[in-house]
Amino acid sequence: MMEIRNISKRFGIFRALHNVSMRVQAGEINAVVGENGAGKTTLMNILFGLLPPDAGTILFNGAPVRITSPAVARRMGIGMVHQHFKLAPALSAMENIILLAGRGLISGGRRLVAARAAEWQNRLGWRLPLDEPVSRLAIGQRQRVEIIQALCAGGKLLILDEPTASLAPMEVEDLFAALRSLAASGTAVLFISHKLAQVTEICRRITILRRGDAVYTGELAGLTHAMLAEKMIGGNVPQAISRPPPPVGGEARLALADVTVKREASIVLHHVSLQVHSGQIVGIAGVEGNGQSALVECIADPTLPAAGKMTLSTTRDSAPQRTGRRQLLAIIPEDRRTDGLVPGLSVTANMLLKRHHQPPFARWGFLRFSTWRSFTLRRMQEFDIRCPDLDTPVGALSGGNQQKLVLARELSDSPEFILAVNPTRGLDITATAFVMNQLVRARNAGAAVLLIHADLDELLAVSDRVAVMYEGQLSDTDWPHTSRESIGRLMLGVRA
Amino acid sequence: MAAGENIVTFLAQQMIAAAVPLVMAGIGELVAELAGVINIGIEGLMLTGCIAAYTAASCGYGSIGLCAGILGAMALAAMFATVAVSGRADQIVCGAAINILAVGASGTAWAVFQNWRQKHDMSVSLPHGAGFHKWPLPFLSRTPFFGPALFDQYTLCYVTILLGILVWWLLRYARLGLIIRSLGDFPEACQAAGIRVRAWRWGAVLFAGGCAGAAGAYLSIMRTHSFAADMTGGQGFVVLALVIFGRWNLFGLTAGCLLFGFINALQQVLQTARYTAHNRLLESLQHIPFQWFQMLPYAAALLALAVMAKNRPGPRALGRAWPPETPGE
Repeated sequence: MMEIRNISKRFGIFRALHNVSMRVQAGEINAVVGENGAGKTTLMNILFGLLPPDAGTILFNGAPVRITSPAVARRMGIGMVHQHFKLAPALSAMENIILLAGRGLISGGRRLVAARAAEWQNRLGWRLPLDEPVSRLAIGQRQRVEIIQALCAGGKLLILDEPTASLAPMEVEDLFAALRSLAASGTAVLFISHKLAQVTEICRRITILRRGDAVYTGELAGLTHAMLAEKMIGGNVPQAISRPPPPVGGEARLALADVTVKREASIVLHHVSLQVHSGQIVGIAGVEGNGQSALVECIADPTLPAAGKMTLSTTRDSAPQRTGRRQLLAIIPEDRRTDGLVPGLSVTANMLLKRHHQPPFARWGFLRFSTWRSFTLRRMQEFDIRCPDLDTPVGALSGGNQQKLVLARELSDSPEFILAVNPTRGLDITATAFVMNQLVRARNAGAAVLLIHADLDELLAVSDRVAVMYEGQLSDTDWPHTSRESIGRLMLGVRA
Repeated sequence: MAAGENIVTFLAQQMIAAAVPLVMAGIGELVAELAGVINIGIEGLMLTGCIAAYTAASCGYGSIGLCAGILGAMALAAMFATVAVSGRADQIVCGAAINILAVGASGTAWAVFQNWRQKHDMSVSLPHGAGFHKWPLPFLSRTPFFGPALFDQYTLCYVTILLGILVWWLLRYARLGLIIRSLGDFPEACQAAGIRVRAWRWGAVLFAGGCAGAAGAYLSIMRTHSFAADMTGGQGFVVLALVIFGRWNLFGLTAGCLLFGFINALQQVLQTARYTAHNRLLESLQHIPFQWFQMLPYAAALLALAVMAKNRPGPRALGRAWPPETPGE
């Protein structure tokens, strides 16, 4: 149905895509996989009319077409779920759906679109608060709104860019079932992901991109995960580092006792009790929007109103009172671009954010840039951060490099307590393995780690203890003596 | 003030008459700002509306004057959109340039117009029938109190009310409103929906220009039947402030305009009453220069802005050019 032939795209001297060809057939689910920077997003932007290709042709139903803008793509029947959300925060979810899926300027087919949205919600088993403004929805909910939006717009080709990043396992199953029935009714689906398990489950044909080249296009049958991963990375897959059993009787670094948080008259945390001991990774699983953000805020900022007791203890007593708390806590925030980094500042400045005023980085109130630079260079080598030079604004780095920078800063003075929230969002296999290994390394060195993560598999791979958050309540599990499925059920509020 | 007329009714009528151009221009500016374009040149657009309407109405037809006012301001708005929307230039700077341009151009045009009329032995003032007169609505204008205040006004007052209701409804219930609000909130959403951001912003700017032009025409050929250099007297800036005061909401904006209009009417009454009324308190005001009275509505607008506009950000993408300099990561 859609075929692309020898598409190339350059950004300056950077070769984003080079002679890429692939075919998508009606009624088929196709996958495009690749590491970050392999050209997946560039390819999708070309198909959606956001970027013009430098060379190559696109055939739609056999005829060559030029997709010059998203409006053209929409008219051709191409819908897209974007990795970076394209929802207007001030509008409600339903209004966003009407904006995209509606037609005309007056009613926009409001009734029809609302009915379709309700139908898709039923099919997927979702109950999204569609009348809430998007700004009040959690990221996971926004992702689901985007999916519903694209499904409502309908069309001949549906492109999904990392649609499962914050869904619970069972929800992924529901989405896949919906995609299968969509494909069965004649829609072509293009599924972009780096989660190979999902790709092999749902797709028939696959295109693997590596640094702008399509290294493989064809049937999935007969290929193992290892073979796929090797093709994607072009080398060996990084191995998880070993995790000795946690020390017995480590001290409790963080203790929450009966913490309740209310926000705008609704309870977002419900009598939560939790302890994190040193040398231990405690994982909090759960679909996003079930109180995780309140938990994070509550730990990161003790001045926010909350009932109950929270203590953060340390063995170091030298930390000055004034700056103490932020020094004790290493926080890897969910949204690195707003909470973790200052995108407009240089790599060096971002690396020093917590410590710029302390010796040896400042003396007599003067900043000592030479020590800043040498410190940053050392950290960059250690964490394999790649950037043109130290003065590059952080906003210009890739997501993986940004996250490594946050890790390098937060983990550099062997913190005793680490709070990590969705630390691998948007990262590829190599970067994900790197981030997770760093957390395990810190844990092996005696840090207490609280990992709040929407990706269940990654969470289970590193956690010593796992608790599940659902609608503001935390329920402990006896992982690793319980099954992944029962944890998945708890994430949806189903008690075994 | 006609003898025997109820002072309250008079105040209400004057309040509304003064508020009409503010609401009219405010509706346009509100739509433009919701679409992400802040045009601080609204003062200049209104002034252009004044002069264009007045000179065109000299041909003898008020309706031609009104159309010329609207079209003249739209032409200036098109200049603004060319530079600020298509050219992605800084909107504040462009708006300031529009203001300066309008003050100079309208002054020059006025001088040329006067010269030309005198050379041909024609009066500078509007010919009979070229200026608009009040159009009291039958029956409605005779209802007590509300009648004269609301329904004994110029035609544009009724148009403004209808336009306000229409725009409110569109913004709230129509997909057109969704498009406009998302343009100013998160243009990326529009782009993904296949909506052309710059084309729609152009439309919003032109609409705002038309509204400001109509408001200007109201000042020169309806309320006063005259033109004077700089006759808008900063009302365009008041509109800008009132949009913020109203928190980008049509009702808030209207309330602000009525407040401004009320204080304006009140100061007019006070100015007259201090010489005519036999009241010690009022007579004691005779020593105050009249400029202090004229200043009152502006001072009130400033005060209201300072009190009301706390911590309320406007549309997220307000003032941001599209497309953004670096396409998102």
